[in-house]
Amino acid sequence: MPRRAPSLLVLAWLVATAALAAEAVHLKPLGSAYVDAKGGGLRLPQGVAVSGDLAAVADAGNGRIVTYALTAEGLSPRGEIAVSQVTYPIAVAILASKEILALDGKTRRIARLTADGTFSGWLEPSGVEGTPGVRSLAAAGDTVYILDVTGGRILLSEPNGAVRATIAMPPEVGFASDLAVDGKGDVYVVDSVGRRLWVARKGDAALTPLTPPLPEDFEFPTAIAADADGRLFVADRDGGGIVIFGRDGSFRGRQLAMGWKEGFLRYPAALCAAPGGLLLVAERGNNRVQVFGTR
Amino acid sequence: MATTARRLALGLLLGLLASAAAAAPPAKGDPNAKFKLKPGASGKLCLECHTGFQDTLKLPFVHTPVKAGDCADCHDPHASEHGKLLEEEPERICAKCHGSMVPDKAKSAHAPVLQGKCVQCHDPHASPQKAMLKSAGSALCFTCHQELGTAIQAATHKHIPVDRSCLGCHDPHASAPARALLKKAPPALCLDCHKQDAPNFARKHLGYPVTGADCTSCHDPHGSANNGILWASVHPPVIKGMCNQCHGAAGTPDALKLKRAGADLCRGCHSDTFNMIQSKNQVHWPVTDRKACGNCHSPHASRTAKLLAAPQGQLCGSCHQDAVKRQETSLVKHPPVESGDCVTCHDPHASNATPLLAGADQFEVCGNCHDWKTHSTHPIGDKVVDQRNKNLTLDCSSCHRTHGTPKAHLAHFDPKQDLCVQCHADLTR
Repeated sequence: MPRRAPSLLVLAWLVATAALAAEAVHLKPLGSAYVDAKGGGLRLPQGVAVSGDLAAVADAGNGRIVTYALTAEGLSPRGEIAVSQVTYPIAVAILASKEILALDGKTRRIARLTADGTFSGWLEPSGVEGTPGVRSLAAAGDTVYILDVTGGRILLSEPNGAVRATIAMPPEVGFASDLAVDGKGDVYVVDSVGRRLWVARKGDAALTPLTPPLPEDFEFPTAIAADADGRLFVADRDGGGIVIFGRDGSFRGRQLAMGWKEGFLRYPAALCAAPGGLLLVAERGNNRVQVFGTR
Repeated sequence: MATTARRLALGLLLGLLASAAAAAPPAKGDPNAKFKLKPGASGKLCLECHTGFQDTLKLPFVHTPVKAGDCADCHDPHASEHGKLLEEEPERICAKCHGSMVPDKAKSAHAPVLQGKCVQCHDPHASPQKAMLKSAGSALCFTCHQELGTAIQAATHKHIPVDRSCLGCHDPHASAPARALLKKAPPALCLDCHKQDAPNFARKHLGYPVTGADCTSCHDPHGSANNGILWASVHPPVIKGMCNQCHGAAGTPDALKLKRAGADLCRGCHSDTFNMIQSKNQVHWPVTDRKACGNCHSPHASRTAKLLAAPQGQLCGSCHQDAVKRQETSLVKHPPVESGDCVTCHDPHASNATPLLAGADQFEVCGNCHDWKTHSTHPIGDKVVDQRNKNLTLDCSSCHRTHGTPKAHLAHFDPKQDLCVQCHADLTR
């Protein structure tokens, strides 16, 4: 009987969401960014963020941030930001002010970079106990959402580091690899080990399960993005696919497969939902950022 | 008058009962009735051919139906769909009388019991041992648990109850309250013998209030080469009795409280490891989380080297379940993956090479075992562009997936049909 309980939960969840399956999302490859403005190739890109027409890519293998103009046609190289403080960027976020935040994989600190590429200091969370261990970050407006795996929490911070709220991660979270924020201020977390999603609706003090464990749908999910339509995109890194959910956790389908050519994925490391129904995927294993249409 | 009426009623009732008994169908399972055996045949007929059973019946412990000569309780004398003319599937037949030996919500159960393989331990007919066990005492357990039996024999510091019988601590069928078929969960089980108020108990534990702890986090209950039957791999401060390196002072209210949380506690002594981690681009993320080192290491003692909380493959596989599944379903097994020796290729703490490689790059890591550098090979390296993606150069993972694939040679695609033409499209047949 105890073994049956999770199966029944999954079944109930599948039945409840079956009606929504009709609204399956199809990802249409629109193109890829492989190089910077000078033709230098991306290497191990692990982060991507968009604000308006500005896109930033954490080009980890080259130790820099590469910026692009996002147009209806895709990504057009704009410039690069290389500062000595950030030697291995693994995640990026862009504030409404166009300030770029870059998480350095080596120091695991968040660097503040002006739009013209100047290092303006570190975002050091203040007003909370302990030293955060930052795994990922996201931005909505001028609020920075920091995934603090050391503290087992999400910090909602001002750009200057002043933390104004926290969201607790229950111990049941296997390992939180990434987070996303939707237009309503709801926060979503992907649990790589538990192979499930968690959510904190705006104002919630703690994460709660959004889906049951989904071992049939995920191999090792590590990245998540939320778009303006309330859809969630989750990158299954080791499985080379994108799994799509509604904001209520309803399953909307799995797209793409492991591969090298455009339209395939190899170790997708980061996702970003962009205006116009676009989805940007930074692929660590293919040294590129692919752009997909989602409508 | 009343007495006469009562006698008549009683006589009528007895008469009714007697006639009902005569009219009733034969009792279910009664072989005499079921097979219409001649009077006196039950218990004798089978033995006319199966003469060897005369000796079996002389053994001290005989299965009740065998003793009663009810061979047909378990066997059909004419024909059966199951081996040995059993009336039921071998995995189910014992449960017909004995029911389930696993209690509801059992925390652990013996695999043969779950599988209905009762005859692995019991002789269904008779045995010199009580409960018709096939061998006496712990010898029976060691027929399967050979490795454990050898370790127990080799232990220089014995746990005395182990030498007596496994059944002192374990229930051979299942345990409702505890893991590992234990009769009780530690420490309750251990405290049945080891009295916590004994002066020696407090002295051995340096005055720390350990009676709420799981004794097996430090002690190997089956015996050990170490004093105090500590596990094979012991954290040096534990051996030296320096508990206050990590915990409060003995005798204080916070004696067991850790001096610092997470990795900060370990950093004090293991600064070299932490400096190495800090110098690398990529960290194994569990190192940074709340449990930090405790995700993979036992703080006191462990049966596994380097104080690992479990054997390496099992430990890594507890999070990286997809890698385990990939190896299990792989056509070809990559030896380090199959043997669970993950650190042959990966650094479990941090690395500059993706994915946490235990070397500068794939060429170095793979080259440690594979001698491709010493003979001609397909061009690979930083100057050989991958025809599928101009932003990639060819390396080992261009064609192979080290944890496993359904194809030969751990290839991503079928090497005979599809692999080469991924790049050499003009050669497609």
